[in-house]
Amino acid sequence: MSENLELYHLDKLIGFVGDDPAAIANMVGIFLQTTPELLETINESFNQKYSEKIAKAAHSLKPTLDVFGIDSLHATIRRIEQKARTEEFDNELFELINKLNIVLEEVFNSLKINYL
Amino acid sequence: MDAFRIFIVEDDLLYGEMLRRHLTLNPDNEVYLYRNGEECLKNMYREPNMVSLDYSLPDMSGLDIMRRIKKDFPEIPVIIVSGQEDISTAVTLLREGAYDYFVKDDDVKDRLWNVIKKIRENLQLRSEISYLKEEIGRKYEFRNVIKGNSPSIKQIFSLIEKSTKTNISVSVTGETGTGKELVAKAIHYNSNRAKKPFVAINVSAIPKELIESEMFGHEKGSFTGAVTRKIGKFEQAHGGTIFLDEVAEMDLSMQTKLLRVLQERELTRVGGNDLIKIDIRLIVATNLNLAEEVKKGNFREDLYYRLLGMPIELPPLRYRGNDIILLAKHFVDEFCQENKMKKLSITESAQQKMMQYPFPGNVRELRAIIELAAVLTDTDKIDESHISFNAVDAAENLLMEENTLAEYNRKIISHYLQKHNNNVLLVAKKLDIGKSTIYRMIKEKQIVL
Repeated sequence: MSENLELYHLDKLIGFVGDDPAAIANMVGIFLQTTPELLETINESFNQKYSEKIAKAAHSLKPTLDVFGIDSLHATIRRIEQKARTEEFDNELFELINKLNIVLEEVFNSLKINYL
Repeated sequence: MDAFRIFIVEDDLLYGEMLRRHLTLNPDNEVYLYRNGEECLKNMYREPNMVSLDYSLPDMSGLDIMRRIKKDFPEIPVIIVSGQEDISTAVTLLREGAYDYFVKDDDVKDRLWNVIKKIRENLQLRSEISYLKEEIGRKYEFRNVIKGNSPSIKQIFSLIEKSTKTNISVSVTGETGTGKELVAKAIHYNSNRAKKPFVAINVSAIPKELIESEMFGHEKGSFTGAVTRKIGKFEQAHGGTIFLDEVAEMDLSMQTKLLRVLQERELTRVGGNDLIKIDIRLIVATNLNLAEEVKKGNFREDLYYRLLGMPIELPPLRYRGNDIILLAKHFVDEFCQENKMKKLSITESAQQKMMQYPFPGNVRELRAIIELAAVLTDTDKIDESHISFNAVDAAENLLMEENTLAEYNRKIISHYLQKHNNNVLLVAKKLDIGKSTIYRMIKEKQIVL
């Protein structure tokens, strides 16, 4: 199985669950089930300006993105959480969430191809 | 060791499942994953060895769950694993009793392994301590501590048994070597304080200037040499028993301080201001007559009555008749077993010899005599030639009896009269006393010719 190294790497995940393809596939499955829900929460809450919901979903996503080695979103997700906590519904937050959507969409597609 | 049971409480399904899989990589771990606080609390009956708690849960905060766990299961370590990189939250949680606090970062995996290793080691130590405490308890069962069938010793068994039922203070008296500390330990390890500490202080062995600090502790800098805070023996014994040996040797000013501590059930460390509550059971021992010491003004009367509690007077070995032989046989068996020697018997003549000896050093001396005899014999028998009483001379034997001066006078005069065919004039001259004194003692039947 090849990984898209630009998008993600599963070293940390393997460190956690061991180098067991079934376990990794199971974790990828959970990631593909739970992460789009959190992303959807962020998108909807941004439109409705529910800062608390955005902060909470971003807070939950932080460790998940770290474990899946999605390094390009490391700073992004933290900045989203921070801006949501201070209720800064500005263009920067819009851009950050947009980036989150684009990158994660690519990650989902790549993971589906490689692991499911 | 049984499986190490871990609860993971984590609402993030991915992270929780990842932790669960990670921790089950060690087959000794039995890992349960719960998605919220209520689910975790409902399952606490499984008695986990550790709970890993996410700080932000949907139904209640990590702090609330931890408080509820700590209330009912204070011994169970709770680890908080959180996405919050906030020091004040961590400090609050640690103050409230969290065992550790981790942020969900790259190190969480290693930190979890380390903390589990530490908790397992603690559990192992705790179980070892508990086993050793039980062993000590067995060692100090009455019949293992004091051997004997004589009426006087049976009475002691009965008193010890009664004293274990309550927290009453106990004062143990008896000649040296009669086993006063063993009795104190037997009382402690057969009481409901058995799992708490037994702390012994030999009052006569501690210099007067240091005794207060030794007993009640001191604060850093309270006197020259007090470089750190010291917890005193009374605090160490909290919940358990404190044994004050040779209590009659305590000076009057320390007696006053001890009385105050016993009355108030609280103490202040030397150089400190805080009042520290203590819950102790007190057992004291002395080979002096405390009532006599009170009369002489050497011991405070009010302290005497507070310490007296249940008096247990241990009889000298010489008044315990056949117990001497019973104990001798026990000591020889014990010595042979400890030294992997074949079993030895004690001949009739050796038994006779021991029965005629006053044993001023009591049981302790008997043990030493028997152990030496077991080493000296070349056969499977200990006979009278192996029994040696040379260690203590006759004059010392006499002094060991601790009679009154009048009693010693009577014994010395009787001895001289016997030696000199009841020649009163000669004895009076030899002892440099008036002959009328001797005649008066004969008349009053203090001396029987």
